[in-house]
Amino acid sequence: MIPFIELALNGIVSGLVIGLAALSITLVFGVARFPNAATGDVMSLGAFAALAGASASGTLLIGGVFGIAVAAFVSLACYFLVFQKLSSRPPVASLLASIGVAFVIRAVMGVVFGHQQKVFDLPLARPWRVLDIRFHPTDLKISLAALATLVAVFLILHATPIGRRMRAVADDPSLARVSGISPRRIMVALWLLSGAVAGIAGILVGIKTVVTPEMGWDLLLPAFAAAIFGGIGHPVGAVVAGVILGIVQEVATPFVGFTYKIALSFAVLLAVLLIRPKGLFGTVAGAR
Amino acid sequence: MNLTRRTTLQSLAAAALAPALGGQAFAQGATFRIGALNPVTGAGSPYGSGMQKMILAAAEMVNAAGGAGGRKFEVFAEDTQTTPQAAVLAAKKLIEVNKVQAVVGTWSSGISLAVIPLTNDANIFLMNTSGAPALSVPPANAKGLSYRFQATNDRFGRAFAELCEKEGFKRPATMAFNNASGIGNTEGFKKAWEKKGGKVVANVVYEPNQTSYRAELQKVLAEKPDVIVTGSYLGDTTIILREWFQTGETTKWVIPAWAANPQLVKAIGNEAAEGLFAVDSISNEGSPAFSAYDAAYQKAMNQPGLSNVYAAMTWDMVVTLALAMEAAGPNADIAAINKKIREVANPDGAKVSTFAEGKEALKKGKINYEGASSVLDFDEFGDVTPDFSVSRVEKGEIKRKYLVKI
Repeated sequence: MIPFIELALNGIVSGLVIGLAALSITLVFGVARFPNAATGDVMSLGAFAALAGASASGTLLIGGVFGIAVAAFVSLACYFLVFQKLSSRPPVASLLASIGVAFVIRAVMGVVFGHQQKVFDLPLARPWRVLDIRFHPTDLKISLAALATLVAVFLILHATPIGRRMRAVADDPSLARVSGISPRRIMVALWLLSGAVAGIAGILVGIKTVVTPEMGWDLLLPAFAAAIFGGIGHPVGAVVAGVILGIVQEVATPFVGFTYKIALSFAVLLAVLLIRPKGLFGTVAGAR
Repeated sequence: MNLTRRTTLQSLAAAALAPALGGQAFAQGATFRIGALNPVTGAGSPYGSGMQKMILAAAEMVNAAGGAGGRKFEVFAEDTQTTPQAAVLAAKKLIEVNKVQAVVGTWSSGISLAVIPLTNDANIFLMNTSGAPALSVPPANAKGLSYRFQATNDRFGRAFAELCEKEGFKRPATMAFNNASGIGNTEGFKKAWEKKGGKVVANVVYEPNQTSYRAELQKVLAEKPDVIVTGSYLGDTTIILREWFQTGETTKWVIPAWAANPQLVKAIGNEAAEGLFAVDSISNEGSPAFSAYDAAYQKAMNQPGLSNVYAAMTWDMVVTLALAMEAAGPNADIAAINKKIREVANPDGAKVSTFAEGKEALKKGKINYEGASSVLDFDEFGDVTPDFSVSRVEKGEIKRKYLVKI
């Protein structure tokens, strides 16, 4: 039983991090209405910027804040330079453009930071044992950071005027406009927020693994899966779906083996979508 | 006389083409074109520039000695970016635009496996430094035009088994990255270890690009192994070792040196890295050919030749090719040169260490090129068997302990 609990815990941590990436995707989808394939590379960029900030300032905290700021700023820049111009075109134009943006960001990172892997300089800690179950201090901190981010995003969405307007645009863009909501300010807030969330996800993945220019792009597929699974455009759904996929993947490994565990999470995704095409929390697409 | 329009056209076309064909044949007689296809950027970048410079240096040396079989080498350099996609594009350009007759110096199995169909279709040589067992046999090496200057992953596995026996390990487990090279390492180890009468307690093949490998580790560690043998790369090894250290287990590790390098030690810290075994194939150190290569490498890169085992391989590729061309005689085609490769590199001839020496000795009889990268004796698959070194991490330093011959 203990191995299963440890696997599940591990799945929760991986799932929370993937869920954050999915949250960034789903925020953009909800308001700007296209799947943003550059999310992964904004994640990597956040991690690299945090590394640079941490080595310049000497503390991870300042590095982390710098990384988040850079990710948010680059995300906003992408909007002004690319996505704003495409907003009147069909979503597929923005999707394709976002793939191009992803390539550009990754190539620049490769030139600036190199392709060698980098790591956050954190001491390795032995786990705590509670009831013979191993808890990893680093994982606990990562989970807390992820949860804090989620709470902050939900507070912004539900307890601030700008968040309320964002949700109004997500629900019905034309009705929001008639009600006097300025789309431009909403978009600025949205891209800053989704960039910051992607940056945090990237930093957490970087702390958990290694930082390379490709790390974010490699995680894009599971993040998209979680965003779709959760009901695309639905923030809570993205995170819950990320955690569910993480746990399913880890706990199933003793039965299906390691080669198929990733395939398995996509099988779960397919099964759920067959029964609930709108995803876990999604509203019926026709109402959008 | 039945002179139709068609036959007139045909004969006119033939007349127009004849000088063009002749001209091309003449051009080929004067030069032999080589494509230097190396990982200048990307994961292979620590090695790529040196590999390419040594191809150029060896070609210059051959040309300075009067060329091979009456022909001078012309080298076209390209970068694989250590990705198969870029490598295939570069190989296409080398073959179709530059009309090279040999592609030399591909690094990493994924790239060599991607490029080999192109060189096979063009009926030209591919000389690689990759380990995947699949490169030895059809379909990859169906035409016998591919030569591998690096040890196969299978041979790495045999070296791992020798190490484990020597160190007295009893319960080894394996972890392999899911690709031809990673699985090749651990399968080779398993075969060799079981031949010695041992048993492997757990085998895990894992997927790349994960945020955690704890489930995989848990499965392996549950069998209480005393050593874990890997077929892995730097990124995944870093994550796995950090997670392993955090479990508090004290298993030993045997890791190929392309993953267990100074960057790994830096990434996981001295405490976690203490006692790791790193296994590498080594150059033919102390041989006259190695001295010749070392001098060229120092001159080109301002670093000792020991720092780049792959550059010694690319040096040998050009020398071997040149000696085979010399043995095959003027204007020999690819098939004729191919027949001579084993003849100039394998035993039973006068041992030679440089191209000039070999060219001279070929006038008297058979030769056996003893290379800078290994003694360079190709088996039926075009594979060589270098020696291996075993290193151990001690206080953050990777220290060479002993050599293993298989």
